[in-house]
Formats: sequence, C-alpha cells, structure tokens
Amino acid sequence: MAGPLLSSTEKIFILHGVQNDYRSDGRSNIDYRPMELETDVVSHASGSARLRLANTDILVGVKTEIDVPKPDNPGKGKIEFFVDCSANATPEFEGRGGEQLANSISNMMQRAYHTSQAFNLKQLCIFEGKQCWKLYVDILILECGGNLCDAVSLAVKAALFNTRLPFVKAALMDGGNVDLQLSDDPYDSKQLDIGCAPLLVTLCKIGDKCVVDPSAEEESCSVISLVVGVTGNPKFYCTEDTTNILNVECKCSTIGMNGPGSVAPKTLKDAINQGIIAAKCLDEALGKALLRERQETIVMKKHSYGFLK
Amino acid sequence: MPLDFRRFNGPEDSVSYTRFTQDFLKSYDELHNELINKSNLRKDGRALDEARSMFARTDMISQAKGSAYVELKKTKVVCSVFDPREIPHQNEFSQLGQIFCEVKFAPFSCSRQRRPAAPDAEDKSLSVALRQALEPAVCRHLFPNYQIDVFVYIIEHDGACLAAAINAAGLALADAAVPMYDIITASSIAIIGDKMFVDPTEEEEHVAMISPDSENVNHGIITMSMLSELKQVSDFIQIGSMDTDCVIKAMDILEKECAKLIPNIQQVLVMNVVQNIEQQKKLEEEAKEREAALNAKLEEWKTLLNAG
Repeated sequence: MAGPLLSSTEKIFILHGVQNDYRSDGRSNIDYRPMELETDVVSHASGSARLRLANTDILVGVKTEIDVPKPDNPGKGKIEFFVDCSANATPEFEGRGGEQLANSISNMMQRAYHTSQAFNLKQLCIFEGKQCWKLYVDILILECGGNLCDAVSLAVKAALFNTRLPFVKAALMDGGNVDLQLSDDPYDSKQLDIGCAPLLVTLCKIGDKCVVDPSAEEESCSVISLVVGVTGNPKFYCTEDTTNILNVECKCSTIGMNGPGSVAPKTLKDAINQGIIAAKCLDEALGKALLRERQETIVMKKHSYGFLK
Repeated sequence: MPLDFRRFNGPEDSVSYTRFTQDFLKSYDELHNELINKSNLRKDGRALDEARSMFARTDMISQAKGSAYVELKKTKVVCSVFDPREIPHQNEFSQLGQIFCEVKFAPFSCSRQRRPAAPDAEDKSLSVALRQALEPAVCRHLFPNYQIDVFVYIIEHDGACLAAAINAAGLALADAAVPMYDIITASSIAIIGDKMFVDPTEEEEHVAMISPDSENVNHGIITMSMLSELKQVSDFIQIGSMDTDCVIKAMDILEKECAKLIPNIQQVLVMNVVQNIEQQKKLEEEAKEREAALNAKLEEWKTLLNAG
C-alpha cells in the first residue's frame, strides 16, 4: 500500500510511543482522530455521505435500481459495493494501481454485510420473486491518510442512513411482468433500517500492542493489522423512546487480516475484544451525529458545507 | 453477468428447474435438522468435532517445480509452485520476494452452479486469502525482487476448500524446496446456532451461510491457518454473525485441529524426501551402469583398433 517513507529511527520513535500508550499525535492507543461527516452531499445519488478522518477523505454515493431477485432468494434485495481509488489520493493509484486495495476493501464490506443480522436484505424486496431494489454503494477514496477500512464503513453506514427509496404507487401486472409506478415526490419515500449495519475496526499491531485508527505513518510501521466487522446497535439510530427496542448485542460479522505478518492466538483474541469495544463507541457517536443532522434538516437549519471546507 | 453465447442459454426469463425440486423447497429448519441425525452424527457418519481424514501427496505435476494434491473426501485440490522469476511490470526494487497466488475452480467443481471460466469475486478473494496465509510462512527475504507463483486448482469442492488449498500450497512450497519458517496448516469450522461443525462439507457450509430467521443466532464459517510450531496465526477469516465467546471457542478448536494435521504433513514431507533420495540413488546407479557399459565398449573398440 501507498505509505510515506520513514527512516528506521522514526519508526522506532513511533514504536516506543505505542509501547507507552502515548502516540506521536498525542492520542492513546484506543483513541480515534476527530472526524468530519456530512450526508446528502451528492444531489444525483439516493443517499450520500462524505467522511473526513484527518487526512483520509471518503465519498460514498448510493444509487438504487430495480432488479429481479435471485431465484434462490426470492424475498431479498441486493447490495453491491464498488471501491474506486482515485489517483488524486496518490499517483500510485493511477491506472490499475489501486485495484488490489479496492478489491480487498470491497470484499471486506461485502463480507461484513453478508449476514441478515447486519443488514436485512428483505427490506429491499418490492414484489417477492419479481422485483427488488438493488443498491449500488460506490465508494470513492479521495485521499489516503491511513485507516481506510474504518472510514469507508462509517461513510457507507452514513450514506445508507441517508438513502431514501421511493414508495411504489401502483403495480400493473401484465402477464408475468410487473410494471411499477414509483412516487416522484422526494418526501414520499422510505428510509432504510440500517441500525445493525456493521462497522469495521482496524487494529494495527505495532510492537506487541494493538492500536486503533492508525495514521499512515503508523501503518507503515506495522506488518499486520486485523480488521473486525462488528454489527451495530439499532437503539443509537432511533429518535423515539428506545425502551421498547431490544438491546441487540454486538456481534462479529467478519474478521480478516491484512499485511504480510502473523499474530499469536492470544493477541488475536485480545484484539477482537478491543475491536468490539471500539466499534460500540464509534457506533454510538455515529448514531448521534446522524440523528442531529437529520433533526437539522427537518427544521431547515442545516448548513451545507459540501466540498468547500 | 454476461451470457456465454457458446452455450445454449434458454429463454431469458427461464428459471433453473432446481428451484422447484423438493430439496430446494425445504425450509431452513428442515435443512438444519437434516445435518445431524438422532445419534448426533453428521450425514457422512462423522461426529461434530471430527475432521475428515486427509490424503495428501507431493510430486503431482512433473512440469512444476513443486506440486501437491490434497483430498478431503470429496474436496479435491491440486497445487503447483513454479520457480521464482522476476516480478513482471515493476519498476521499484522490492526487498522482499512476493508470492503470487491464483485459486481457480474447475467449471464442474460445485454442485450448485457451473463455475464461470473467468475468475469471479470468490476466486479473487480466495487468492487474496491464500497469499495472506502463505506470506508469513515463506522466507521472503531470500528472494528479493522475485516472485513465486502458486497456482491452486480446485477440482471438486465439498466444503473447506480454502483450508485444503492452504494445506496443499504449504506442501507444494516444501516440495519445491522454497525455504519456509514452519509447516503451515489450515482448518475450517462452520457454526450453526450452538453447534460447531469441524471441517464442514459444502452442504453444512451452505446452511451456515444462510441467516436464520430467528434473531441473534450465531452462524458463519471460520477458516484459520497456523504456523503451529511458532504458535502464530497467519490468516483468520470469519464470515457470518457470531458473538465473541463463540469466535474464541472456535479459535481454540481450530488451533487444535491445525496442530493435529502436522504429523500427517510431516510424514508426507519425509516420504517425499525419502522418495527423492531413492530416485537419486537409482539414477546414479543407472548412470554408473551406463558408464561401465560405455567403458566396456571403449575397451572393445580399442582392442579392435589395436588388432587392426
């Protein structure tokens, strides 16, 4: 992966910092960097979000399309992830340079969203066996500043939260074909239930400790990182009284490893536990931010920054 | 998906007949209950925590530098490793050698669908997983700026194909005399509810990947590869949804399963070395015989010449 060039002394400096739980930018090993998130930034997409995590810049757009469900899953919709590494991020991504990274991220997302306990595809069904929604989640990496997986998963969840699917006004049956009439009123639409959507947490092993949210410099000091996908908690994404909603336990929806190194089983177990705790905090913070933004949109007080900031 | 026009494709809105067969119309619970019979045995007579016996051999493909064949009942995998070669299309010098992995399914390998000829997303993700698993095992600093090609062909797929592929690749690398830190083994487990199926078949994997209707039931598949002597996990892949306790419990089981495979693999490797030495001896003997014959001929001619 594209990384900054560091001398061996700089690497040792970072390693010692991690050992003492005090990283070069002043964070402890379990702290995230501040993030900026804005939803509804692309007018042509059904839902969109832009997330900036220090120098990492991710733009996600969700496009919807009507499709025929798979014959072995007649009652379910479809979701697909595409990652594009823009050459703006680093010149190394030019041409097919970013393909490998893009593939690994989209694979990871696809796996994390596989189980219905993470994202229920039944909500995308329009007409069982005949028509369903297909969501195309296009992820654009505009800048790389480390920790791409986490940033991508946060931005995707925010974009899905922002996605609106138009209601079906009428359906005409013509032989075996269904002709749908969709409502063209943008407010006559339903939102997706994405409370359980997974977040990915990358744990980067530096020395013999794991850190969350590694910067690009820290990533180049580590030979192995663990990515844990953890399902969210719907109670963070509801404005109503949360007492009648079941408190869903966080579960692992996917685990994978990145990088040429290996880890001891004990470290792996600790890292999984650490990842779940980190994911819980992230999920809560994301839920709060999204609800606040939705509230601002409702009372027409939302100030859009777009790409000016 | 683009249509393959060399085949007869049928009408556009046709549906596979399997959609209406009895097997397909079974509900999740029926599928689930079928996996285990009353005496707690699986369909093929194994206990839940019993892995399939593995058959492995090296020297499968004569053209390759090293090759191996691994069979877990109906899962059959061939792997070949070729000599290191310079990394193509690379400008920068890389200090560490690279491993290039390609996993391919035979078109007829799966029972549920015909595999497309071009690699699809699953093939690619398996290739990535295989590379991830092998990289920590190989002494890559001995091959700067070189790449080693590892090709895996899955002839028949009946579950746990990634684990079989990793086992085969480890054997093939050893057969090719690529220096490695440790023997690499892999094992896989399918989790459905509170039951853990060690070394699952395709059917068990399929049920484990379906999300049950009832909320909060653990399901999924974990594949782990280990360097047992060094106590290192080189790859860990989990899909599905399960809580941490379940993951950790599965991890302990997998660790043991990976260690269990070691004697088997060691035996194959020792056999491989013994065979190679024997072959070497045989070749040397043959060479000696030929030399003796030639010498005798030479003497004969010499006497003939002298006589003439």
